[in-house]
Amino acid sequence: MLGPVNNKSNAIIEMQNVGIRYGQGPEILSDIKLSLKKGSFHFLTGKSGAGKTSLLSMMYLAQKPSRGTVSVFGHNVNFANRDALAMLRRRIGVVFQDFRLIDHLSAFDNVALPLRVCGMDEREIRKRVMELLQWVELDRSIQATPATLSGGEKQRVAIARAVINRPDLLLADEPTGNVDNDIAPKLMKLFVELNRLGTTVVIATHSEKLISDFAYPRLHLQNRNLKIFAPNTPVNMGGFHV
Amino acid sequence: MSKNTVFIARHEELPLKGDSTSLFLQIMVAIAVFLFAVTLSGVLSINSMLYNWNESILGSLTVQIMPSTNIDPDKALAETLEHQNKALELLKSLNYVEKAAPLTDKQLEKLIQPWLGDGIEIKDLPVPRIIDVKLKPHADVDFMDLAYSLSKATPMASVDNHKLWLNKLIQFADGIKILALSILALVIMITSGAIFYTTQTSLGLHRYTIEILHLMGAKDTYVAQQYAKRSAILAFQGGIIGLLLAVPTIFGIASLAQQIEGGIISEASLSSLDWLVIIGLPVFAGIIAMLTAYYTVKQTLQKMM
Repeated sequence: MLGPVNNKSNAIIEMQNVGIRYGQGPEILSDIKLSLKKGSFHFLTGKSGAGKTSLLSMMYLAQKPSRGTVSVFGHNVNFANRDALAMLRRRIGVVFQDFRLIDHLSAFDNVALPLRVCGMDEREIRKRVMELLQWVELDRSIQATPATLSGGEKQRVAIARAVINRPDLLLADEPTGNVDNDIAPKLMKLFVELNRLGTTVVIATHSEKLISDFAYPRLHLQNRNLKIFAPNTPVNMGGFHV
Repeated sequence: MSKNTVFIARHEELPLKGDSTSLFLQIMVAIAVFLFAVTLSGVLSINSMLYNWNESILGSLTVQIMPSTNIDPDKALAETLEHQNKALELLKSLNYVEKAAPLTDKQLEKLIQPWLGDGIEIKDLPVPRIIDVKLKPHADVDFMDLAYSLSKATPMASVDNHKLWLNKLIQFADGIKILALSILALVIMITSGAIFYTTQTSLGLHRYTIEILHLMGAKDTYVAQQYAKRSAILAFQGGIIGLLLAVPTIFGIASLAQQIEGGIISEASLSSLDWLVIIGLPVFAGIIAMLTAYYTVKQTLQKMM
């Protein structure tokens, strides 16, 4: 069962007083308040260990908060059952920092995964996957398994898998960290294009170049809390709470 | 586009066929189906035996004429035969009797041969005479009334409708049947347990892949269906192996049983319907494995992640 839908808000993700801790340890994130509007584009920054991955994992519904409420697409995830969470996840594309590709599957099958779990017709899957693999310049490696691909190629497979289903929300953890300099702008162009078509995008990155090249607001994690900065504003300028 | 015509082999997301639990599952199911088939054939044989006994025994009865106590053997024999004829006359007059015939001297000699040996003259012995009575099909016999009529015709006659010894045999056969059915239930429980265990182990082995499938939006059902399909196929294959081993064993036991004297066990044969049930066991095993795996996955995933 899905949680209650908040129709008044135009937010794709909404967090209220969210805290997260692992076991009996201290809170990694505290009192997070966040509202991401439909069609927005944000960078997520913060030092290593600041909680970027934990924040993202709540956004892609891999974990629930220790306290507070998280709503995704208007549904309170605290009240959603397993099947309902699965249906919400189908609308989210994720690029993991460690790729999380399935080792025994080919590049083609890895990219096809989100479409297959939805039960899409194989001919349509084939058409979509081939098109996208060509676009990310992996059409020569469709049968290759992740073990035989380079770091950059794996990352492109992971990105293709995240966007194949034309998600409403795209979350990417260091998506251009391993790719060559010439393909990184092309991948960013893909994210920008998806955003232009209505996808809400959050990209976690350490790359100041990426942040300065693309003028999008920044969500910055510091001292277990979240602040927002206008495009191209240095983090030492203060920012404001969202 | 020429590239689109390239053949792309689809691989299963969960590589269940090659995992270490598959062979274990197949062997377990093969053993289970073997035991199940042999035990089931026993149960079905006992059933058919009981049916045959009931059919033949309910359709007949025996009238016994006690020998005369006259000390002159010739007179005693004549008196006994007279009593026999009176009883026979009465029996033949009854509308539910199809046939009533006394056992011949030779038949009687054969009956007592195990106790008194060869070369006996039945005429010289004060042994009871026996009339074998065959009843008409579905005859409604009042045995008390028959016994009363016979005693009026001749006080030396008594009726045996075989129920007493048959009831003891039926009780014994029923006991064996209950034992066999308990074994069948145990086999099903052990097989389900093995499938539960192998499925849980396999879920642990493929945890990483399952987590990714979940993150891609797969429901528990999606994973459960893959396990159900794999378990059904493996159990069916194991079941076929078990069945192939069981059939010659059943024939072997049947031929051994037929060598036993007495004719009781030889009546225990399997009908074509019984065989159909036995041959269907691999399908049955497949269905049990499929359901067990499906619900194990659903239950385990709830706790696991």
